[in-house]
Amino acid sequence: MKIGVPKALLNFYYGPFWETFFEELGMEVVLSEDTNKEIIDAGVRESVPEICVPIKIFIGHVLNLLEKDVDYVFIPRMVSINEGEIFCPKFMGLPDMIRHGLEGLEDKVLTCHIKSESDDISDYSNYLSIGNTLGISKEKIKKAAKVAGEHWKKFRNYNKNGYTALESYNLVYGKGKLKGRNNRKKGIKIGLLGYVYNVYDSFVNMDILNKLKELNVEFITFDMIDEDELRNNIDDMDKVLFWTFSNKLLGAGYKFFRDMEVDGVIHITAFGCGPDSFLGKLLEIESDETQIPFMTLRIDEHTGENHLQTRIEAFVDMLKRKKLKAI
Amino acid sequence: MKISFPYMGTVVIYKKLLELLGHEVIVPPRPSQKTIDLGVKHSPEFACFPFKVIMGSYIEACEMGADTIVTSGGHGPCRAGFYGEIHKRVLKNLGYDTEVIIIDSFNRNRKKVMENIMKLKGNNSWLKLSKAVKFTYDMIQEIDKFDKKIREIKPYEVKPGSVDRAWEKIQKEFDNAYSKRELKKAVKRSNEIINSLEISRIDERDRIRIGIVGEIYVVMESSINMEIEKVLGELGCEVERGHYLSEWVDFNLVPSFLKKSHEEEIIKKGEKYIEIIIGGHAKQTVGGIVDFKDRGFDGIIHLMPFACLPELVTQSIIPKISKEHDIPILSLSIDEQTGKANNLTRIEAFIDLIRNKKLNKYSA
Repeated sequence: MKIGVPKALLNFYYGPFWETFFEELGMEVVLSEDTNKEIIDAGVRESVPEICVPIKIFIGHVLNLLEKDVDYVFIPRMVSINEGEIFCPKFMGLPDMIRHGLEGLEDKVLTCHIKSESDDISDYSNYLSIGNTLGISKEKIKKAAKVAGEHWKKFRNYNKNGYTALESYNLVYGKGKLKGRNNRKKGIKIGLLGYVYNVYDSFVNMDILNKLKELNVEFITFDMIDEDELRNNIDDMDKVLFWTFSNKLLGAGYKFFRDMEVDGVIHITAFGCGPDSFLGKLLEIESDETQIPFMTLRIDEHTGENHLQTRIEAFVDMLKRKKLKAI
Repeated sequence: MKISFPYMGTVVIYKKLLELLGHEVIVPPRPSQKTIDLGVKHSPEFACFPFKVIMGSYIEACEMGADTIVTSGGHGPCRAGFYGEIHKRVLKNLGYDTEVIIIDSFNRNRKKVMENIMKLKGNNSWLKLSKAVKFTYDMIQEIDKFDKKIREIKPYEVKPGSVDRAWEKIQKEFDNAYSKRELKKAVKRSNEIINSLEISRIDERDRIRIGIVGEIYVVMESSINMEIEKVLGELGCEVERGHYLSEWVDFNLVPSFLKKSHEEEIIKKGEKYIEIIIGGHAKQTVGGIVDFKDRGFDGIIHLMPFACLPELVTQSIIPKISKEHDIPILSLSIDEQTGKANNLTRIEAFIDLIRNKKLNKYSA
């Protein structure tokens, strides 16, 4: 049986888990193509106009998988991966939105509720409903979830050792090369904030990671930092945000600003992202207080590449000059 | 303590409760273009529209001398639950020395909630507090009954504007009531006001009934939703909203063993389309549409703030509900850019469509 897995949204974080899980169950895993113009266009056509770009892209990926004749499309319902916190409403209603909003998907959506107390979502009870749909025994689900969980941990370990999620993904499949550690450059370092699906989807963000590399800028993203450390940085707040990944970004942001270990912070956000409108304000206030430069890059389905390039270059130049002056 | 609160719907209620507790109350002005401009200026660009309006309201209240603001919190995932936290920071940044009291859900932070309640309670006895709460509770129930009644008779008024004026008068009656006896009198007087109105009755077949569902703030606050209820009334439609303060209180604050709220049934009706609670009123919206249809309404208007997270999920599903339940639905999103003329045209066209549909049904 062919299971389609959209390469969008949290697949940049949990992909290695889900792929391994279905492979262990003996399914053929079909991935959607990397985001491209056709995918975005198809997504835009089929979604309500006001919704955020990442969801439009996700819908594009689902349609892309339909063309590949899959039997099911895997669309998890992300509910919670930390006690007392939940996901953005669009994640929690994602299967509903796809099932009732798109033609021809009524019986093709393979879904499950994911609830967990930590980032580790390998508890097999999350996936029992998949077993019911596909007619697979509990034992098999249990075993597959365990194997997948270990695979995912390997991926996360690479990630936390300073590799981007994309590099880690290749490494865990034995494709990439380990880089020589500690080749510290004298250049500048940037804290790059943004959800995995904005930072690592090189089509929608105009390949910002490579642009930074070309400019000789070192960067650090939230997924390279240990979960507990992210949490420690927001522990003193009266009330934290409701959305786990927004809290991770906030934790990373506060760390960047307060530890003074970066020269500047860039926040990549998608047009229409609700949680980011508040997150951005909190970061702005922090930037004012610590005097570390902060820039918001807003991406959408029709971002012009030149404008992005110019803004990044200007920001980096400014940081370089600031650093030179300080010495 | 000079106390203020966010402006939404029938504000008489919040004012009454705080006054009964002996606080000096500052009622912010009804949201106007100035309020919206102020709010937009000082809010994050992509914050939702209610956030911006309330932001503007707060600033106006602070300018009028309020030193404390009470509001409700929440636990997400809708952004509304975090409004207070950001408002607090923005007000501080603007240099206002205003305390923002956020009453959160009791289960989340028991100690803090108690602390906040104690602040509002002040020197009043618990008995007085509970009496004040009971009194306002009764009052909401009564006011909402009249609110519904008004929208039912509005399309059939003989003298244009007479029903709107009656509603103003009724609100004033309630505003002047401070005891149980006065409340009874207000109800009696309001009934008289309604009965004295000249109303023309029409054939049952020609009645057009519209349900308004969506995000609570834009549904309840007439000053920012183009006074949609009045507009529809003038177009000859009876209107009922999906949100009334009394129902909100029954659902959120009254324990379910005391009173089974209507909202629970509605949520059940939406289960098919949205499985779990995804924040805001998405489930109520979906259930509300089905409920209105079951009760014989002719059309639905769905209101949401621009880029509202939960309502976007609803909006994605609406075409299917409309088809499956054979009911016309018009979805409008509202923000500071809303051009009134554009929306009015859409509403008029929508009502024409419903009227024709009805006509065809009976003539066929």
